[in-house]
Amino acid sequence: MELLRSLIKSRKFLIGTSIFLALLLTSLIFPLVNSSDPLEMVGLLYEPPSAEHVLGTDNFGRDVLIEFIYGMKTSIFVGLVAGLIATLIGTTIGVIAGYVGRLTDNILNSTTNLFLVIPSFVILILLSSSLKSRSLLFLAIIIGITSWPWTARAVRAQTSSLRTREHINMAKLNGMNNFEIMLSEILPYVSSYIFMAFVLQVASGILSEAGLSMLGLGPSDVVSLGTMLSWALLYEAVRTGAWWAFFPPTIGISLITFSLLYMNTGMDEIFNPRLRGE
Amino acid sequence: MQSGKGEILFPIFCFSKSRKDGRELSPYFKYILGKLKWYVLIFFAALFLNFFLPRLIPGNPISALVAQMAGGGASSDVLNKLYNSYIHEFGLDHPWYVQFIDYVVKVFHGDLGTSFSLYPTKVNTILAQALPWTIALQVPSILLGWILGNILGALAAYKKGKFDGTLFPITLFVSSIPYFCFAIILLYLFGVILNILPIGGGYSMALTPTFSIVFLTDALKHYLLPFLSLLLVIIGGQAIGMREMSIYELNTDYVRYAKLLGVSDKKIIRYVFKNAMLPQITGLSISLGTMVGGALITEIVFSYPGIGTWLFNAIRQQDYPLIQGGTLVITISVLLANFLIDIVYGIVDPRIRASQLEE
Amino acid sequence: MKVKKLVAEVENLKAYYKVKGRILKAVDGVSLGLRDGEVLGIAGESGCGKSTLAMSLSGLFLPPLKYYGGKIKLKDIEISKMDRKLLRKNVLGKKISFIPQSAMNALNPTLKIRNFVIDVLKEHEPELSEEEIIDRVEERFDSLSLSKRVINSYPFELSGGMKQRVITVISTLMNPEILLADEPTSALDVSSQHQIIKLIKTLLERRIVKSVVFITHELPLLRHIADRIAIMYAGQIVERGTTSQIIFSPLHPYTKMLMSSIITPEKGMKGKELPVVSGSPPNLYEIVAGCRFAERCPYVTEECKINEIKFHKIGDREVRCLHPLTERNGINAAK
Repeated sequence: MELLRSLIKSRKFLIGTSIFLALLLTSLIFPLVNSSDPLEMVGLLYEPPSAEHVLGTDNFGRDVLIEFIYGMKTSIFVGLVAGLIATLIGTTIGVIAGYVGRLTDNILNSTTNLFLVIPSFVILILLSSSLKSRSLLFLAIIIGITSWPWTARAVRAQTSSLRTREHINMAKLNGMNNFEIMLSEILPYVSSYIFMAFVLQVASGILSEAGLSMLGLGPSDVVSLGTMLSWALLYEAVRTGAWWAFFPPTIGISLITFSLLYMNTGMDEIFNPRLRGE
Repeated sequence: MQSGKGEILFPIFCFSKSRKDGRELSPYFKYILGKLKWYVLIFFAALFLNFFLPRLIPGNPISALVAQMAGGGASSDVLNKLYNSYIHEFGLDHPWYVQFIDYVVKVFHGDLGTSFSLYPTKVNTILAQALPWTIALQVPSILLGWILGNILGALAAYKKGKFDGTLFPITLFVSSIPYFCFAIILLYLFGVILNILPIGGGYSMALTPTFSIVFLTDALKHYLLPFLSLLLVIIGGQAIGMREMSIYELNTDYVRYAKLLGVSDKKIIRYVFKNAMLPQITGLSISLGTMVGGALITEIVFSYPGIGTWLFNAIRQQDYPLIQGGTLVITISVLLANFLIDIVYGIVDPRIRASQLEE
Repeated sequence: MKVKKLVAEVENLKAYYKVKGRILKAVDGVSLGLRDGEVLGIAGESGCGKSTLAMSLSGLFLPPLKYYGGKIKLKDIEISKMDRKLLRKNVLGKKISFIPQSAMNALNPTLKIRNFVIDVLKEHEPELSEEEIIDRVEERFDSLSLSKRVINSYPFELSGGMKQRVITVISTLMNPEILLADEPTSALDVSSQHQIIKLIKTLLERRIVKSVVFITHELPLLRHIADRIAIMYAGQIVERGTTSQIIFSPLHPYTKMLMSSIITPEKGMKGKELPVVSGSPPNLYEIVAGCRFAERCPYVTEECKINEIKFHKIGDREVRCLHPLTERNGINAAK
């Protein structure tokens, strides 16, 4: 509770969170109000913004505004699912490696480092390029599976610094088993780090999806900000000056990432002096 | 600071500690040797992933290829023959481990197979043509971005006040714009609206690559936008990290003690810069993969003739050998760069050598 | 006892922290005199401002610490308002030197002792060559029976006790008149503590340093090293006296509490009544009127809470207390 209160005091955290929530809510509420299909062709190729189509039309004559809002929803969904998966795997591995130590740590840490060095987008390309059609959920899952090492690394470092603390020894003496200790004596202490890592993972998940879409490996069933960009590039929107086709997704992705990073910076400023001062 | 310990190898990969011949290896040499073993291990893991991951997904590339090559109109008999000949040519009629060994042997002979889309061009030929462009784009932008970003970050931490106050939010915003988004904005601004720089490619269509002044200036013009868009985003990201590290270092006990002994600011800044830099080196090696990935996609935005653009084309045409060759080359480059960074790190940080001594 | 001449004088020194518009009065009107050849002990709980006092005595006020008034006189030089560059060049390390609280991190981890020493000495005597500096340092290490090999090590290659001794030697390389030691032993094991105290005594005996200000939260520790002791509470000195006076017959209730805070009383303390006073130091952002110790004092009266308490002279001793423990300790105030 005290943590929450200090978080609310941070201007950076508040600004970041408000931007993110505003974008999220827009993307969730809009489809309820406006039931148009984002993939429906409503006009000609690259019609400039007009009263009818506020952000014009794209290369297939689809309404950019509607696409943009659905794309944002898709991107945030991918980010959240991927972030959740990465955080779950990363936390499990990080806590076990940091707490158990010795050989287990050795093996888990080496594995983590291995996947940190091999670029994750290479694995993503290899996994997704063999598929003809890729569902959104599939992409979110593989992005999550390939990005856990970051979280594992951060959580492991924090956990191993906790390992020799008094309260953990007390728990051992009181007959708690390793699993109980990790759950009740370690997780609560690293939770702020885990949450910060989660926020970063959401941002990097959104970027990964956009990157994959740019490579032509985006979801084949829905619009995402990345696929919008990819189409805009492929169909020469930039070179023909159809700015309305690529500006919204560019700004959308940047704004989402910025809001998440700003949130993270705010949290960092609050959590770190506290943790350093202990 | 948790950096510097480096990766710990699986115990089985460590030589026994007491060397019979009694020769003592220097700690730094031991460190390099340890790293080398580690990277060889990663290299094989990467080879395995590169071979295995595409096969994890049901459906095989060959049927896709056959369908694509046959287009329409071919009889199923012809298709079958085509299919079988490909299966044989790519060795797909063997068990997976034979295929893997075969693959490793081929890779060691520098043979990455034959491209589907540009059949019968070898993947090697295509990649060898593309690699120099990618290296020329990425190495300078990443290195320069890293150096400038660190200097800016340290300055921001040291000067505080206005310099830091205005610079920080701007830098954070710039660095949160994804590489390719920034690239698109720059392309539109300078290439389309202002129309002062070329909008794509590595050089003008009318020219052929030679070492003439005309060609080089033309190539430089094409280079500027992709280079700048990478450079600026990298500077932003590095500056933020360095600022944080420097602020941390400026508040350490050793800085205070040195001040109380009358050591000048100039010398103290040197201490702080060096110590804040060390985690930045490790940071570079960790984030290198992400940077390279971002840079490859930036190539696509500018249709720059590097690996990224080729990868994009290969994916669109489902040219699996080219995709796999491309990813392998990228992985190996990233591993090599990381190894180089580790070598440098071992020279710069004295603790590396000592932590090896203690063992 | 012959009173020796003063080497430094502090008058009504005020140094406050300014954090987010609020002012924390960490050192709030401290006056001290430091005599030639003596060790002045300063004791108090953590948070009483004693470390800030140690820093301030150097004349270098590092933000967020700010100088708010008073004087620090070093013979004839007034250093509290001195230009920072001059202070660094002519005073710090040379006339006033410092041993920091945590030796563990006081040395730059990536710099050899050798190079640090060169940096420090070159700052003050730029004409020295590196060889001359190293010769001088080796000689000093030798004479204080520290291994010369240490000079070529990195800090992380040294044990905690060794690091603290090395720092003590580095801090006194330029034969400073005053050595400010801020809890130099608190992070160390018992045998390293003894070594440091022995080292400081040796430095004094050989006149390498003229006087020492020894700051600690363990009052009993001062018995072995200090000549006089000042007790600090809530940014002020509350009692001054000789070591035996302070330790064996404290006048201020707070001094008594500090003595009782040890687990095993030392010789001569056994059997004495030790009231345990609980509570924590007051908030230095908002200082209450009257005695700052009133809230925790077992002898507090209404009178204590009205006006700021001034020093009372009791014989050769001074205490900020309206009800000093004279009768209870059998000390004759008239003496």
